[in-house]
Amino acid sequence: MNMRWRILGIAFLGITILTIPVFSQLAPSLPRSETLIVDQLTGRTGAPDNFNEWVGWKWRDRGMQQLMNEPLWSIDFATGEIINGLAATLPEYNGDFTQVTIRLREGVYWSDGVPITADDVVFTIELIKSTPGMNYQAPLESNVNKAYAVDEHTVVIELKQPNSRFHTYFLDRWGCLWIMPKHVFKTVTDPLTFQFNPPVSSGPYVLHSYDPSGYWTVWERREDWDRTPTGILFGMPKPKYVVFRAYGDPASKVLGMLRHELDSADLTAEALKAVLAQGRTVRAYQPSFPWVVNSDPCITGLTFNTMKPPYDNPEVRWALVLAIDIVNYESIAVDGMAPVSPLHIPYLPGYAALFFEPMEEWLKEFTLDLGGGETFKPYDPEVPFKLAELARSRGYAVPETPEDIKTAFGPGWWKYAPDVAEKLLTKNGFYRDEAGRWHLPDGSLWKIRVLGRSDLSHLSTRNSIAAAQLWKEFGIAAEAVLSVDFSSLGLTGEFEVTTDWPAFEPWGAGPDLYRTLSPFHSENVAPLGETTPGHVSRWSSPVMDQLIDQLETTDPTNVGATAAVGIESLKVLIQDMPSIPTFNYTGFVAWDEYYWTNWPGIENPYAQPYVHWGPFKYMLPFLNPTGR
Amino acid sequence: MLKGGRLRFFRRYFLPRLAQYLLVTFIGINVAFFIPRLFPSDPVLETIGTIRSQGTYLDPATVDKFISDLRELYGLEGTIGEQYVDFWKRLFRGDFGISLFQFPEPVLSLIGKAIPWTVGLLLTSTFLSWLFGLVIGGIAGYYPNRLWVRALDAVSMLVRPLPYYIFAFILLIIFAYVVPWFPLGGGSSIGWRPELSFRFFADVIRHAFLPFISLTLLGTAAMYQMTKLVVQNINAEDFVQYAQLGGVKGRAIISKYVLRNAMLPLFTNLVLSLGQIFGGALITEIVFSYPGLGTLTYHAVVSGDYNLILGVTTISVVAVTTCIFLADLVYPLLDPRVRYR
Amino acid sequence: MKVIRDLFRDYRFVVSFLVLTVLVGLVVLSAFSPYDPSRWLQTPKDLPPSQEHLLGTDSKGQDVFWQATFAVRNSLLIAIIAAGLSRVIALLIGLVAGYRGGGWDKFFMFITDSFLVMPLFLFIVLLAMLLKDRLSLVTLGLLLGVFGWAWDARVIRSQVLSLREREFTKTAVLSGTKTLSLVVKEYIPHVTPIVFTTLINNMSWVIGMEITLAILGLLNMDIPTLGVMLQWAISYQAMLLGYWWWYLTPTVLAVLLFVALYWLSVSISEYLDPRTRIQRVGMG
Repeated sequence: MNMRWRILGIAFLGITILTIPVFSQLAPSLPRSETLIVDQLTGRTGAPDNFNEWVGWKWRDRGMQQLMNEPLWSIDFATGEIINGLAATLPEYNGDFTQVTIRLREGVYWSDGVPITADDVVFTIELIKSTPGMNYQAPLESNVNKAYAVDEHTVVIELKQPNSRFHTYFLDRWGCLWIMPKHVFKTVTDPLTFQFNPPVSSGPYVLHSYDPSGYWTVWERREDWDRTPTGILFGMPKPKYVVFRAYGDPASKVLGMLRHELDSADLTAEALKAVLAQGRTVRAYQPSFPWVVNSDPCITGLTFNTMKPPYDNPEVRWALVLAIDIVNYESIAVDGMAPVSPLHIPYLPGYAALFFEPMEEWLKEFTLDLGGGETFKPYDPEVPFKLAELARSRGYAVPETPEDIKTAFGPGWWKYAPDVAEKLLTKNGFYRDEAGRWHLPDGSLWKIRVLGRSDLSHLSTRNSIAAAQLWKEFGIAAEAVLSVDFSSLGLTGEFEVTTDWPAFEPWGAGPDLYRTLSPFHSENVAPLGETTPGHVSRWSSPVMDQLIDQLETTDPTNVGATAAVGIESLKVLIQDMPSIPTFNYTGFVAWDEYYWTNWPGIENPYAQPYVHWGPFKYMLPFLNPTGR
Repeated sequence: MLKGGRLRFFRRYFLPRLAQYLLVTFIGINVAFFIPRLFPSDPVLETIGTIRSQGTYLDPATVDKFISDLRELYGLEGTIGEQYVDFWKRLFRGDFGISLFQFPEPVLSLIGKAIPWTVGLLLTSTFLSWLFGLVIGGIAGYYPNRLWVRALDAVSMLVRPLPYYIFAFILLIIFAYVVPWFPLGGGSSIGWRPELSFRFFADVIRHAFLPFISLTLLGTAAMYQMTKLVVQNINAEDFVQYAQLGGVKGRAIISKYVLRNAMLPLFTNLVLSLGQIFGGALITEIVFSYPGLGTLTYHAVVSGDYNLILGVTTISVVAVTTCIFLADLVYPLLDPRVRYR
Repeated sequence: MKVIRDLFRDYRFVVSFLVLTVLVGLVVLSAFSPYDPSRWLQTPKDLPPSQEHLLGTDSKGQDVFWQATFAVRNSLLIAIIAAGLSRVIALLIGLVAGYRGGGWDKFFMFITDSFLVMPLFLFIVLLAMLLKDRLSLVTLGLLLGVFGWAWDARVIRSQVLSLREREFTKTAVLSGTKTLSLVVKEYIPHVTPIVFTTLINNMSWVIGMEITLAILGLLNMDIPTLGVMLQWAISYQAMLLGYWWWYLTPTVLAVLLFVALYWLSVSISEYLDPRTRIQRVGMG
């Protein structure tokens, strides 16, 4: 009996003692009102002591690409602008694109006081080019002949062959080749294992401290922030400290935000709903339904392995497109919150004028030949209104005007036409049995395994679940296979249908679709059994090859010509349909306005809204502290 | 006790067990070496996949070269035989190699960072829940009809089958959100560099409290039930009845007669639990964002990080076999009637 | 008959029997489900319990009640296969090793220790990844059964070691009782409480393991089990969105299942042990 009371007594005492110290999550030296806490998208950092992002994967969204490194140029896809960072102007190519001149911004210093000069750029290029194993070694080796400094702020790079897009290696769209501090790296014996700890910043923040287990990283504003491009262009970044935190799962992020311990979080559809319902100071990117960041420059969907029958037949692929009711598909995948896109590029504000509107007529007139003289026009511009109806039936407040509906839900998609799909399939020898199940021409039951990631919150997984459900309804024995080997299987071609990006995302701004199209070039396609360097669909076509070659020799600054080639290639992609783009990648971003306001929401898109990409540093001068 | 037969003990008992211990450890490590290589997760492709999906534009013209460069860097170029021999050579130098996915962190340093958290949390939790469960269960088994025993029975019965994730998450919601007494997660407060101070220590304890409670409550409930059953069984033995008739006090009976007889299976339980510590507590780490071996191991498995998997497995195997070995040595001390033919 | 009547005198047996009957009833009901458990959008989403949907609907557009019938069925299947297989193995090995000793003991303990030594969780995860396509319910049950016996075999063996040195064993051996009948008649009743406790431990371990594998994304999410159902509820933030019917159903069912099994095992093992039976039931 005594023991029991003793134990209870100790426990009670323990709890009382433990609740006395500091209540907040921050160490006493970090004042909350001057600290911005954001979540780390890629999760816990695996190599926390290592800040050398030029080798391998280093969880650089822990602040490295956003705060520590200033690239030569960045793209802000929300405004559609290219922002000059360490460079003062856009790159200057000579007439035949064999030489590029880069002029650096003046008055920019590393965080340890050394000025950033052309020597750093030349050193970076030469070191990487001569060290196999570094991320950009191979492209630099195959492209660069010579790099040299003309003066302190001018670099000239001579290329081995014409390449009008060489500078894009240095363009931070989603990561890029950053510039190394020569004075640090030149004394390093093995750059591959060098930890670069403590790191030297070119951006406006320096490393303050980090968790040895990788759960958080704290950055402190540089005293000489005005000697960085961010400071020069936009002013003083308002938060004195920025903390990147990794959480175990979305539910913890929600709880963190509700406790005002997290100011920005990238969640899932349901977690976003939960935090908006329960948080009084929480807002999303859009103030009302569908709340999501609909201007993300990535497109999600389904990708066929076009080297495996029957997916090598474009008519079979089209039949599978028409077997999908996109309204139900969206309901399953994201509860109707994402904008759809019929093209292999996302429906971005910048692309509406360049691609979607010029192609509207062509899309409406696009015809499939069903054989026997029958034709069918598959484009359905009514899809956004049907999606709006779905949202209304779920009780959400839906925008009213057609313009707003299209912005929220996309311009249109393909019709749900199972009867036409049937015609296309029977034309190619497929048939249904008495139970309604589809069989391949060789008689066996048609089974489709749709590969997805094992993480249920990832949009590729949601796509695979939705596709499997819809094709099941159509009568095909489809199942979603959620695998942890998603990447390996995709790269080696061991799949039939996967949910990897239907096309690589373009720059997010400007008419140049080279990044999207070049992976489809036949020289980048490997036979089955080998890892393929290009797009995992392993699709190519002579027409597309020609267009890509044409694009390579078109001057990217000639908007009209570049866009025209882009439009032709998008048409080819639609005709062949090697992959099915479904909906934009949607960011389920939530912001807590308890400590910081003036976030770049849809009504005020002064910068891109994500915290895990480089241009985050350009958002910081505009945030306002509430002073709590 | 064993004075005369000490040499005999050594030869007939200790040596065979030692041999067995070494052999089992060897087999465990071998399994850990070969099985991950059977899996489709290729660490190089996983790295490429992550780099590509998180931003670097891998120029299709040069990806192949990058892949072969990485293979060479990771030491995956030789045949399996060569890699095997190389592994054992390194092992004897105490070098577990370099983590493939978290390149170039050495495996030992990664494990070394995670171990203090895991061992700290799980060691205390396992030991305390064993102790509490033993004591409370012992008493309860002896007085099975008292009111408090029945109440405890009911509580432990309702608590045990709760899926651990739900139990942990409910604790988190109640004590870290509804009444925000404890932090939402992490091992220590943000921005606080580890230091040897009472305040820092208190901070660590505060962060560990909820995970600790979630594990200990469940562990105690389980141990309580098991002990109670075993004790009830022993209770019915004759010698207990004699002791009661002879007027020996309840407390003395419990500690001197009942518990000592119950020790053997319960002790086994403790030893094996302690061995399992090195597996980490994955769900605890996920719910409470707590650092430890569980998430380290899981990510190693998922990304096909052979070296890290091997490192963690080796340590785990060695820990468990050592615990079993020590347990075997202690058995005769606990129960002198145990003889070996 | 008398046995059953005596068993029923214990209120715990009665309650657990009733609960299990209800659960088995659910299992049987699953055959009559009007909804296909692997399909989405069969009903409107996220409706609270009503007359039409007894336990409401979830965010996938499925009826929670009918899902639960399948979940109980599948979880029970896995647990029975796994626990059954592992009990049989543990008992066999524990008894033989404990009693025979010598070479047999060394050999079996060697195998047991090899299994114990493997970081269980790691290998289950590795194997689940390898078998991911063929990870049907039966396979999962066998997989978990194969890994779940080592611990308990050792416990049983140590119990047997103790028993072997006791008075009644020596008596029995001296009086010429054969090994097999000694083991069966005398040891098994002593060992039974341990076996039953470990059976319950094992079944709750299996369900816990199944839930963990589901949370890690290693199970087939189309086949509803208690763990899979819970994982869907967790991923879709049922707790934070207030859809209590969705996450409470598998939780409460798991609790009920465990409680029923525990009471069942306790009352049966008390019955089997001659001394406690006399205490409870009387000499009649």
